[in-house]
Amino acid sequence: MEVMVDEKDLKAAGAEPLPDDRRGLRIHGWEIESHKGSILKSSTLQEWEEKLETTHLPEMVFGESCLVLKHVKTGAKIHFNALDALGGWKQEGLPPVEVPAAAQWKFRRYLLVGLMLICSKPFQQVILDYDYTFTTPYCGSETIEMDAEKHENGEILDRTSSLHWEDCEEQIDMVALASKEPILFFDEVVLYEDELADNGVSLLTVKVRVMPSCWFLLLRFWLRVDGVLIRLRDTRMRCVFDDSANPVILRESCWRESTFQALSARGHPTDSAAYSDPSIISQRLPVVMHRTQKLQVSGNL
Amino acid sequence: MPSHGDLDRQIAHLMECKPLAEAEVKTLCDQARAILVEEWNVQPVKCPVTVCGDIHGQFYDLIELFRIGGNAPDTNYLFMGDYVDRGYYSVETVTLLVALKVRYRDRITILRGNHESRQITQVYGFYDECLRKYGNANVWKYFTDLFDYLPLTALIESQIFCLHGGLSPSLDTLDNIRALDRIQEVPHEGPMCDLLWSDPDDRCGWGISPRGAGYTFGQDIATQFNHTNGLTLISRAHQLVMEGYNWCQEKNVVTVFSAPNYCYRCGNMAAILEIGENMDQNFLQFDPAPRQIEPDTTRKTPDYFL
Repeated sequence: MEVMVDEKDLKAAGAEPLPDDRRGLRIHGWEIESHKGSILKSSTLQEWEEKLETTHLPEMVFGESCLVLKHVKTGAKIHFNALDALGGWKQEGLPPVEVPAAAQWKFRRYLLVGLMLICSKPFQQVILDYDYTFTTPYCGSETIEMDAEKHENGEILDRTSSLHWEDCEEQIDMVALASKEPILFFDEVVLYEDELADNGVSLLTVKVRVMPSCWFLLLRFWLRVDGVLIRLRDTRMRCVFDDSANPVILRESCWRESTFQALSARGHPTDSAAYSDPSIISQRLPVVMHRTQKLQVSGNL
Repeated sequence: MPSHGDLDRQIAHLMECKPLAEAEVKTLCDQARAILVEEWNVQPVKCPVTVCGDIHGQFYDLIELFRIGGNAPDTNYLFMGDYVDRGYYSVETVTLLVALKVRYRDRITILRGNHESRQITQVYGFYDECLRKYGNANVWKYFTDLFDYLPLTALIESQIFCLHGGLSPSLDTLDNIRALDRIQEVPHEGPMCDLLWSDPDDRCGWGISPRGAGYTFGQDIATQFNHTNGLTLISRAHQLVMEGYNWCQEKNVVTVFSAPNYCYRCGNMAAILEIGENMDQNFLQFDPAPRQIEPDTTRKTPDYFL
């Protein structure tokens, strides 16, 4: 998915690509970089399970993949990674959603248990109760990261208190984003994915595009439990380049959700094939949460 | 009935990733059905044999598998299902494996995976690929009708039990499995469904998936099953693992996954399990085929997503 970028466009915007094999660019005091790795090794997977206190993680966890947007002068860093997102999943801990075949399964379980009782055979059954959809409220991570030189000067930093999102009325200017200015950098990074044992899809991705006037990104959690439920949790962020020392980032989170039953009641199709692309069908899903926030990036150190 | 010459020509054609004509597929499936109907739910297999996991339409990686493991029929193969869906070349992949089965019936064993089903293939790619490549659903129908005849499990030298998914609370013995009526679409629940879908789990006993459908089995279950049936190992596929294979449950169970860089982006290795003449076990890991010309990897125009 390489995108051809015109060298002239980069130069005209005052941007330069990152050195070596790194994917990304420097522009207006920002360093924007993506990294894509493979799924977790079995040993790392086990470490993550211990860290997150769970025995179940998505089938595909892209543990090394990330998107990082760093404001070099202040050290403010917005980043996206699977571990933090799964931390959010663990914390939210939604109750499981049953698939359509569950009713038949229950009936059989009663039969089996009865049969085992008659044969007086031990029969241990446990209903696992984690949220297998891996639904997460994650909307990005932020830290202040100073470069090596400043560390050497002996400065001590408080990582947690420096960046603070505040609720606001302003909204991301979608009209401005619709204008076709050249894209200087584009990438899409999958953080985790699960096929729900062929009962649908659970997918967390982040896309970024950088234009001469701003950067814009979309973090999307997309869930389809076939025949049961569709859930879409989008977080968009935009930062307009104005070369001020303290840039402002707007963040809009919009969560949408609907059961297949409710979709059908409103005359929409209910076959899974009609719901393969979230961007096309998002408007059909009612909004369940909407929030706009603002982050003033400041050194504050 | 076509001669070996015809089949050899078709296999050579398929090895170049070229699909057969619709009529040829029909004949091939008819021949394959006549062979598979004679096979058992627990199909006996002799060593030496190389055991393979999911392929999922990754045709060039299947060719790489043959390069690493040896060509059929020089090497005997046992495939544990999931030939179709997800990858770009389900048609070529499954046609090649079925053609090899028809040509070398005693040297190739092909089991049924949960994707060898009408319902699943309509959602995960094989159906659409057949429509795209043949302009109609006939080839999909020939294959999915054939899938009903695939054996569910295999038994290597009465010691290693091979299947796609895992164990079932309704099946304590191999004889229980032999008694199943397998020639049907994979049901939504029940013992046949379990064999194709269940997974081993860290938790003891039978675990019921939070989805409300699907079993997991603990180490106690696997140990008991192996003991009851005089087995040394359960070899299964069905789950993606970064290293291509994964031992679990105190080496009572091994997972083998043979689609490297699954879905062309997971970065995982693939593996196959060689069972030698003395039942010695050797895993071969491999990376994706060097030549990967996938339809979707062409350069994209910038995405003005909102």
